[in-house]
Formats: sequence, C-alpha cells, structure tokens
Amino acid sequence: MSESSFVPRRFVVAEFKTTDGLLEGTRKMREKGHNSVDTHTPYPVHGLEEALGIKRVKIPTLVLLAGITGVCLAYGMMYFMNKVDFPINVANRPPHSAPAFIPITFELMVLLGGTTAFFGLMALLKLPQPYHPVFEWDSFGRASVDGYFLSVEVGAGEDPVDVANDARIVGASEVQVVEEPER
Amino acid sequence: MSASASSDPIEPRALIEGAHSDRTINDSLLDHVWKGAGKGWWACFTVAVSMMGLLGIALGYTVIKGIGVWGNNIPVGWAWDIINFVWWIGIGHAGTLISAILLLFQQKWRTSINRFAEAMTLFAVMCALLFPLFHTGRPWFAAYWLLPYPSIQGIWPQFKSPLVWDVFAVSTYFTISLLFWYLGLIPDLAAMRDSSRSKLRRVVCGIFAMGWRGSGRHWAEYKWAYLLLAGLSTPLVLSVHSVVSFDFATSVLPGWHTTIFPPYFVAGAIFSGFAMVLSWMIPARQFLGLKHVITIRHIENMTKVMMATGMMVTFGYVMEHFIAWYSGNIYEYSMFFKVRQRGPFAPVYWLMIACNCVFPQVFWFKKARTHLGLIWFIALLVNVGMWCERFNIIITSLHRDFIPASWGSYSPTWVDICLFTGTIGFFSTAMLLFLKFVPAVAVTEVKELRHELAHEAHEAAGGAH
Repeated sequence: MSESSFVPRRFVVAEFKTTDGLLEGTRKMREKGHNSVDTHTPYPVHGLEEALGIKRVKIPTLVLLAGITGVCLAYGMMYFMNKVDFPINVANRPPHSAPAFIPITFELMVLLGGTTAFFGLMALLKLPQPYHPVFEWDSFGRASVDGYFLSVEVGAGEDPVDVANDARIVGASEVQVVEEPER
Repeated sequence: MSASASSDPIEPRALIEGAHSDRTINDSLLDHVWKGAGKGWWACFTVAVSMMGLLGIALGYTVIKGIGVWGNNIPVGWAWDIINFVWWIGIGHAGTLISAILLLFQQKWRTSINRFAEAMTLFAVMCALLFPLFHTGRPWFAAYWLLPYPSIQGIWPQFKSPLVWDVFAVSTYFTISLLFWYLGLIPDLAAMRDSSRSKLRRVVCGIFAMGWRGSGRHWAEYKWAYLLLAGLSTPLVLSVHSVVSFDFATSVLPGWHTTIFPPYFVAGAIFSGFAMVLSWMIPARQFLGLKHVITIRHIENMTKVMMATGMMVTFGYVMEHFIAWYSGNIYEYSMFFKVRQRGPFAPVYWLMIACNCVFPQVFWFKKARTHLGLIWFIALLVNVGMWCERFNIIITSLHRDFIPASWGSYSPTWVDICLFTGTIGFFSTAMLLFLKFVPAVAVTEVKELRHELAHEAHEAAGGAH
C-alpha cells in the first residue's frame, strides 16, 4: 500500500435516453438527497437550471461591476491626464470636455465588461481543467456529441453502489462508477 | 416527419433540411475538418499565400524606406491606407451583427452562419489594424504613441481627438470579437475532441476545449456570459464605425463635415460585411457539404439584409447631397454636385452609385434572391462599390478643398496596390485555414436549434410535453 494521502474522487455517471428523462432524473436525484448532482449535455437544455436547483448565476453581477469600473477608470484617466496633469490648450477648447470623453468611456466599459464575461467565466467554472474523473468512462465522450449524462460525486462515507442504484431507479439507461486513478 | 420543419407560418421552409439527429449533425458539420485538404483547397491556398507574399514585400519595403513610398501626399494626406482600413473594418461588422444583434433579436437563422461570419470579423479587423499600425512608420514604437502610458516626458494622448477614440474602439472591438468567437467555440471544440479518431487531433482539440464537460452548472453561467457578450457587442459594433466616421465628420472639409456620417457608415459597414459573407459562403457551403444547414433560406435572408442596408446607404447619399444644396454652402455644393460627379474621379463616383444603389435592387425579385450565381456576382460588386465609396469620401474630398491653388491629384504607387492585394491574400489565407481546421458552423448551436425546432413541431402537432 502506498503511504500517500491520496483520496480518489469517485463519481457515479449515468446516461439518459432523452432530455426529459434527464431533467426528471436530475430532479429526483436531488430529492433523494444527492446535492452534488450535475448534468452533462452537448447543448444547454431548457429547464436544467430548475432541475439542478440553480437559483442565481454570478456572471451578470461580475460583468456589471467590471463595466462600472471601466466607466470610472476611463473617465478618471482622461480627466486626470487632460485636465489635471497636462492640460493641452487647442484653440481654447476646455481641457475637460464631457462629450469628447464619452467614446472612450464607453469603449473601456465594453472592454472591461467583455473581458470579465470571458475570464470571469473561466474563473467561475475553474477552466481550463484538463482532467476530471467523469472522463474516465469512455462513453462519456458522447456528452459533447449526442448523449445526456448525469453525474454525482460520491461522498466519503457513501457507497457508490447505493448511488448507482438510485440513478437506475430514477431512469438512467446506463450507470457507471468512475474513480480517479492515482498518478 | 422531419424534426426540423419550421412552424413559422410566414416562412415555411426549414432551417435545417432533412431529418437529422444530434449525431448526424455532429458528423456532417465536422466532416470537412476531418477530411484532408482537396485539390481545390490547395489551389485557392496557393493563390492566397502568394498574394500574402505581396503583403510581406510591401510592408518590408515600407518599413525600410519609410511611408514616403506610399502615394499619399499633400493635399491628399490620407489615401489608400485609410480607405483600406475603413473598408476592412466595415467588412468585419457583418460578423458581429449576425452573431450578436441577431442573437438578441432571437433570429434563429443566424445559428448556421454566425461562426463563419465571426471568423471573418476577426480576420478583417486584423487586416484593418495593419494600416494604422504601419502608417506610423515605425510600428514597433506604435504602442508608445497610441496608448496612454506614464512616460518620462509626462505627456498624455489628446483624448479629444477622434483618432485616439479609434485606437480604443478598434482594439476593444478586436478583443471582444475574439473572446466572443472563442467562447462560442469551446463546446464545439469539446465535440471535436470527443469525436476525433486520431490521437493528435484529440489532444490539440482537448487543449483548446480546456476540459469542457457540458456541465449543467457550467451551462447556466455560460449562457449568461454569452448573452452579455452579445449585449456588449451590439452597441460596440455601432460605436466602432461611428467612431471611424468621426475621424472625418469632426473636420471641416467639404464632403467630410456631415452629421449623417455615423449611421450611414454603420449601415455601409453592415452592407459590405454581408456582401463579403455571401461571397465566401456561397462557395463554402457548396464545397464543405453544408447545404443542409446553410439553406437557400439563409442566403435569401442575407440578400434581404443586404438590400435593406444598401438602401440605407443610398438614403445617406441622398441626404448628403440634399444638405449640400440646402445649406447654401458653395464649397459643399461644389464638392457634391461638381467635383464628385464631374471631376477627375467621377468614374469612381458613378461606379459607387451603380454598385451600391442600383445593382442590389434586383433583390426585390425572388428569382434573383435564390439565384446563387447572381447573388455571388452582386456581392462582389457591392464589395467594389463600398471600396469606391471610401475612395470617394477620402480622396475626392481631399484633392479639391477650399482654395484652387491648393488643389492636387492622387495616384497610388505599386506599394499601395501590393498592400491592398496583400491584405486580401492574408484574409483569404486565414479564411481557408479556418475552414480547414475549425468547424465552419456552430455545431452546438445547430444541435440546440434542432432540439428547439423538434420541440416546436411536436407542440404544433398537438403532442403532450
């Protein structure tokens, strides 16, 4: 026996024939107390959020904050540079001119908002994440092509066989227990 | 029955032709990526790379000798570089319109063409960016001149200049377009990873897919991120060409000093962008086996958008002329009614009118809207027409300003011509590589659309949920 403290993550992965079956199965698994349940589908299936019990997503708040930051940063930057630090007098136009500062203020709002939408998403989803135990099952490749899957993380004190049985009861057509190998 | 039949009573034709499952959609849309390059692809690629070689020569020569090798000189201080910049940026706008604005309007037909058009946006913006970068003469210093950074001289950019707005607008546009495109591509890359047969491809696609596993919790956030990027891109695309038009409109030169410029530039951008999308898509759907998802209905819709934006552009021309006459300003009047129509560059003006205002009118007829050869030809003419429009705005206005003593003329040098041809070569090379290595149609979105359409058809047939 190796002496490392490696505790493999175990998942029960189950395949469903239809999206309606998957939604139904997900709901029932949560009712059975499996809170770590997740679904894996090739495209966003309507009604998944409700089935998974997702109340609120975080991205819109992040993007809003980033957008506001962009506005303040841009306007502040232009005000400081053109009015405070180095006013340039061209034909006696005012150094601080709100209409002329609008385009860049807008662009930086979009730039910060947009980059936050992307990189914030990556951070929230913990991507890139090249390995995940669910990939251990060969059939799981269909989750990005034409398969509807459900996965449940098996807790420390739980028996994967019980979880697998629950998955079968809620309508899964095929169930597999996967375990992260030690490397 | 076909799961993809449309229940839309106004538009009864299907958006996805034939009966398909997720698997057949997946395989048919990825097929062109798995297949080796054919003779036709290599032939096009060779021509495109050779044209790109001209770009290398022209850029190298410009850097070594300085921008004096270009044809622009006082009074025509801005010439082909800016024409090409505006032309390429405009072409990019169709991609964002299709991917973002039509998404917000929930136009289902955008799904099969958005990936393609977005890629076009990216490459067109790259071509456009070359010109402002190289017109600085020493592009390796360009960042110091363009961006606000704390230098030892303590001097900052003049933020009241539209040229500085341009730097922010175009760089933001490129960044956001790239992120939007890549975000949409992630689930497709995962599908490629999981359906590829060779190990190398699985590894490469796997790296770019970043471990996407279609998790429901991920989709929930992803859908919002995608929608927000679309929401941000929509005003962005309108702002980019508006800002480009401010470069001209804020000056006092007759022919430039016009308040209608921002909306008319945006309409022109979308007009030329759709023309470019059509001129690539008509051959691509043929050769890549995408006819079942890019149907004649998609093509017809695009011709309608092209005709509508073409008429907006025509309205812009009419208003320019009306205001030139109505303002009573003799310089404006002479620019629009004498110099442009009867001056040395009059052929360019009349070519512009023919290509942008007259030829697209054939699309009033359904026969024309469904005749692929004709559409392709008109699309090319529109590209020519829009290039002439920028020539007309920039060069024709500059070569005859207020005082006859300061009038001059303009002719491009071989470097100008090579630069322009070279960017077409770069664009074509990039598009051909894209069509070879990346799925040209958003596979995931088409699957989702198929699912939605099947659901609609099911409900229309009175089936229980």
